[in-house]
Amino acid sequence: MLYLELLIQGIVQGSIYALIALGLTLVYGLLRILHVAHAALFTLGGYIGVIVTNQSGSLVFAMFVAAILVGLVGMAIYKLAYEPLLNQPPFIALIASIALFIASEELFRIGFGPYGISYASQPLTGHLELFAGFRLKYAEILVIGMSIIILSILAYLSVNTRIGVAWRASVTDPSMARAFGVNIQNVRYMNFFIGSALAAIAGVLVALLNNFVEPTMGSVASYKALAIIVLGGLGNIRGTLLASMLLGVIEAFGTIYIGHLIDRDALAFGFLIIVLMIRPQGLLGVK
Amino acid sequence: MALKTTFTGLALGLSMIAGIAHADNIKIGFNVPLTGFAAADGKSALNGAELAVEQVNSAGGINGHNIELAVYDDQASPKEAVPIAQKLIEKDKVVAGISGSYSGATRASAGIYQEAKIPYVSAFAIHPDITRAGDYIFRTAFVGEVQGRAGAKLIGEMLGKKRVAIITLKNDFGKSLAAGFKEAASKFGIEIVSEYEYSIKDRQFGPIVSKVKSDKPDAIYASGYFFTAGPLVSQLRSAGVDVPIIGQEGYDSQKFIEIAGAASDGIIITTSLDRDSKSAETMAFISAYEKKAGQKTDMVAASAHTAVHVIAAALKNASGMDASALRAAIAATNLPASIGTISFNALGEVQKDVQVQVVKDGNWHHHSVISDADLLAPPNE
Repeated sequence: MLYLELLIQGIVQGSIYALIALGLTLVYGLLRILHVAHAALFTLGGYIGVIVTNQSGSLVFAMFVAAILVGLVGMAIYKLAYEPLLNQPPFIALIASIALFIASEELFRIGFGPYGISYASQPLTGHLELFAGFRLKYAEILVIGMSIIILSILAYLSVNTRIGVAWRASVTDPSMARAFGVNIQNVRYMNFFIGSALAAIAGVLVALLNNFVEPTMGSVASYKALAIIVLGGLGNIRGTLLASMLLGVIEAFGTIYIGHLIDRDALAFGFLIIVLMIRPQGLLGVK
Repeated sequence: MALKTTFTGLALGLSMIAGIAHADNIKIGFNVPLTGFAAADGKSALNGAELAVEQVNSAGGINGHNIELAVYDDQASPKEAVPIAQKLIEKDKVVAGISGSYSGATRASAGIYQEAKIPYVSAFAIHPDITRAGDYIFRTAFVGEVQGRAGAKLIGEMLGKKRVAIITLKNDFGKSLAAGFKEAASKFGIEIVSEYEYSIKDRQFGPIVSKVKSDKPDAIYASGYFFTAGPLVSQLRSAGVDVPIIGQEGYDSQKFIEIAGAASDGIIITTSLDRDSKSAETMAFISAYEKKAGQKTDMVAASAHTAVHVIAAALKNASGMDASALRAAIAATNLPASIGTISFNALGEVQKDVQVQVVKDGNWHHHSVISDADLLAPPNE
């Protein structure tokens, strides 16, 4: 019973990790940039979600607005910060990304105040009582459901649409894709739009679970998502999803059974180190 | 050309006047986190301290001189706090300093103030080693252990709950609270059924909540700040854990109630500030703070406000302006302030009652007072 609850908690956390890390792995797969500022888009999504929900009263509408606005911000980050640096060594873009992330935390603080914000009346506070004493909160169901639906749609689109095929071709071999007439620029924009929109949705969902968005909300996501994509095999989407779920579940059990020895983050990185010792290319990465 | 010269002369004259007025003010150093993760508490602390400065100055200042804060952002980080303390002492020539920051930064600067023999008051940083830096260091907040012992009395004796689960924030604040709680637990017949730790970055407590639920305690003693305690309490309640949850002054903010929402109802904490106090100082502080800051007050603001008043009162009472006279005047403090009547023991630790507050209808209210002098005795050395 307790194990089942811990497993569910792990899957909830894993679903959030998956939504955040996917955008990161998409960017790495395409551009070989470690996009640390991605975590700032997660925070921005949370802020927009709470503010729009409080103004409009609709969580669904807020989620749409957050996804679209943050998607556009993601495209702007690519255009303004990364594109001019593409010919530089990758660590230059990494430094730019870290700078953007740090600046964004202070911008959130200046723009929205240091205290953080909450839903005026928290949506989806109810729960489903599956059997005696075992509860699934609506918000948790939404988190798991959204991740499965969104990721399935993306998987379908990447296989069955022209733009999806163009995207996969660009990841595998950019110059060949260009030779076949793929507009690489559009693929990159789309890549940032989708990845950022996913982070925004994760932000809205986390805001829902915690009823709280604060300027430093992205600080854990910024490094944990990096650990996840390394664990999964850099740029590998299936690996990223697997690593997200594994890490969510390991953290859930680890917090309870070895949490007094090492903390949650140490657990994640400890696991990462062990996996990399055995499989340096990550869980599903190719050498 | 003539015009330009006149302007230059005017500007020079003005700056000289400003310079003189400036030099006339009595400067008090104030290190406070205005950016970074602790910026919310920093903002409250600064508002509280500024309010106290306005009150002191509008009441005539110190023997005709106004007081003034020299404020620096320490990001709650020891490595920022050290150069700030040096700058405040050497460049700003402050007569005394106040920490509106957390324990790490406060410990680091306490050593520097002690070495320069300038009095330094920690408003709400609770690490026991802060006052041990020396005789120039004082604290207007309870050390964590004292408040932890008060929590044990509250749960074991006043609420009569014996099987307790502890959820501890893994930093000096949470750990010293837990240490005090465990030390006094057996005295009040408390059995600690389980204990969990979380990091200050955690906002999702799903696994801990599931485990606590299966432990079936009579009460939960959970340390944290409003930004961790808000999500924790709300997640405990929505998972169906409905036993009393007892917190401490880290919860003490309107923001906690906002985050936890309906789940905050009935949450009880030990703290310094009594919202329903009939004391003139506390009532005046609460209404003036709401007017100044545009939001409800909290423990952090009240503590910083008190620290400024402690120094101002000592400045009035000190014979002359030298640091050792000021130190002696602070040590002899007996001052009714916004967080109660303040006096210090030999180590510079505050001696006062613990206020117990409870959330009712979306606001903090009086629950009870713990005034057991033996139990609440702060460390003396």
